[in-house]
Amino acid sequence: MFLEALHIEKNYGSFRALDDVSLGVEEGTVFGLLGPNGAGKTTLIRLINRISLPDRGELLINGQPMSDADVREIGYLPEERGLYRKMKVGEQAVYLAQLKGLAKRDAEKRLMQWFEKFDIADWWNRPVEQLSKGMQQKVQFIVTVLHEPRLLIFDEPFSGFDPVNATMLKEEILNLRKRGATVILSTHNMSSVEELCDDIALINKSHVVLSGNVEKIRRSYSAGTYRVELDRRPDNLQMPEWCVDCTVEEGNALRVTLGSDRSANDLLAVLLPQVRIVSFRELLPSMNDIFIATVKKGGDRE
Amino acid sequence: MNKIVLVIKREFLTRVRKPSFWILTIIVPILLAALYAIPIYLALKPAEKSVVMVVDESGLFGGLDREDTLRSDSRFVSTDNVAYRYAATFDYARRAMDSEDDADAILYIRRRATDAIPTDACLYYKSDLPTQQVRFDVDRQLQSILRNRLLQAHGISDDEYALISNTKINLRTEDMETGMEAFIEVKSGLGLILSMLIYVVIFMFGAQVMRGVVEEKSSRIVEVIICSVKPFQLMMGKVIGIAMVGITQFLLWIALTGIALVGIQASNSDLFRMATEKHEIAELATKGSEATAQMQQAGQLGEIPQLVEGIASIDFKVIVPLFLFYFLFGYLLYATLFAAAGAMSDNDTDTQLFSLPLTIPLLITLLLMPTMMNAPSGVLSQVLSYIPFTSPVAMMLRVPFGVPTGQVVTSMVLLLVSIPLCTWIAAKIYRTTILRYNLLAQWRKKK
Repeated sequence: MFLEALHIEKNYGSFRALDDVSLGVEEGTVFGLLGPNGAGKTTLIRLINRISLPDRGELLINGQPMSDADVREIGYLPEERGLYRKMKVGEQAVYLAQLKGLAKRDAEKRLMQWFEKFDIADWWNRPVEQLSKGMQQKVQFIVTVLHEPRLLIFDEPFSGFDPVNATMLKEEILNLRKRGATVILSTHNMSSVEELCDDIALINKSHVVLSGNVEKIRRSYSAGTYRVELDRRPDNLQMPEWCVDCTVEEGNALRVTLGSDRSANDLLAVLLPQVRIVSFRELLPSMNDIFIATVKKGGDRE
Repeated sequence: MNKIVLVIKREFLTRVRKPSFWILTIIVPILLAALYAIPIYLALKPAEKSVVMVVDESGLFGGLDREDTLRSDSRFVSTDNVAYRYAATFDYARRAMDSEDDADAILYIRRRATDAIPTDACLYYKSDLPTQQVRFDVDRQLQSILRNRLLQAHGISDDEYALISNTKINLRTEDMETGMEAFIEVKSGLGLILSMLIYVVIFMFGAQVMRGVVEEKSSRIVEVIICSVKPFQLMMGKVIGIAMVGITQFLLWIALTGIALVGIQASNSDLFRMATEKHEIAELATKGSEATAQMQQAGQLGEIPQLVEGIASIDFKVIVPLFLFYFLFGYLLYATLFAAAGAMSDNDTDTQLFSLPLTIPLLITLLLMPTMMNAPSGVLSQVLSYIPFTSPVAMMLRVPFGVPTGQVVTSMVLLLVSIPLCTWIAAKIYRTTILRYNLLAQWRKKK
């Protein structure tokens, strides 16, 4: 396990922002940190960055307790992010890179490469205030990854990006993973979680309420719903009563929900004698549905 | 440690590169040089010669006599700046002023049947007010001629008069040990200027720290930086960087003012030689010599030597280092607290509220200045010069009068000791509030 949080507790005055939070992030994966606003995600991220320290519990990197030296291996793109408005883009990026420990010349060289890649090289000598929000986001992203950290933390990275740039950012995140970096992604954009994340942890009201592999979670939330495509309109089909729900959809398709004691094999056994099957697919719930269901359940509990 | 240097460098360079820094750097020496040069120019520059027509109906001022028959101390004598011409009647003088336009003013001394000696004279002008120099000269000659007439009438010789008018008892206030004269007015003035100045600069640069912190917080750049730099490093980097801006500005001010003054003196060497000569004459005059004529010439300059002597009696070798010490460490004391106030604020409006407690000690000292001035070594003055928050202003007020070494050392030590303490408190506030927003609203809600 690359990064481990063990029974973390953090209080702000009488408010408990994190309570017994434990999670693990595997090396070379993209880890989704999910949760509604105010759940404690940013608090946890600040603890990982050692901006503040936990009141109880431990953070481990490769099994060792984290130290200030480990922070150098982290690239952090905060949710609320900004730049010095009056400073020139290039100069500012060099300054921020130097604070991360890069030598000036090295920083300039790497920055130029990234600036050209992101098509903002012409803006090097302009003051930041002349840049659009999207361009500022690009600069911030570059500064975050420039020192090639092993752990990247992106807090709502897609806010402020148009679809073109958002796609580019997604590709970059996957590129970083390919090169061996570990990424923690905190976002409300559930479709990007499905696209990018290997594992997730869902934090609600200071607790981890759901965690694990994205595929496994979706499967575990599966309601036994299948989509069956046929070669003709599915009329006059004989369906057994353990098919809890059966609706006809567009394109000669059936949407069938099975009872809890039945499997896909049972459904196929019923259908095969009656029709020709073109395709057969399990319908997994989206992360969005799971998120809403889990958070609502938490809300009911209180 | 390297990171704090980076922060200092950025804070310093971004400020020094601003046009406003250079404008301020250039304007202050120009103002100081102007302050120095303009009075000298005005006093010495031979302005256009003004012509004053004298209409003397009384006859006491030479108006009814032929010019060549009179003693020079019984009539108006033209000077470098003012030419006097006698006219027989007011109407004649008026016509001269209207038509030829070469007369600037008419001095009309009216004869009154009831008075043997006129008590009233009027300087008439048209459109352009006569310069102060002209008015001064007219007045001086009026009094002098009148006095000479009276002396003659009463048979008092010039020497007798000089003896009477120059004999006076001089009351001085003196230090018993050094035998130095106190020159209280000069020192009070200097103390006032110095303490106001230190108040202004501590606030100016302290407020810069606060604005810088708020800028970082409200633009959210601090969220990005705080994971690579410790909050303490970021805060101290800013405080030190701005201190260096302040020191740079001071040094540039001193250097540029020096260059400007030397330049003025070099380009107007004649003028300044004259000024020096005048000072010398004036000095002779006040030393009570019998140089009556010279004294008259010195006239208005009588005040200057005392000022010069008073300034000379002040030990600038002590004052300048003390000023720099109290500026630098007074600033360091306040700057970290200003940074903390900035960290608590979300915007400029909040800063006004959060920095209010910081302004109170300095304001109190300013308000108590008259009381302290009355007794520069009194209990109040001593107490205020021990309290670190008030000592920079209080000490600058007292320093021209001389402060016992023991008190200065105590005050300095107390200031130095309190800086780490304040920094520690400020750093704690800064660290816990820099990433929290809407503090004000939250506190209001709690109440």
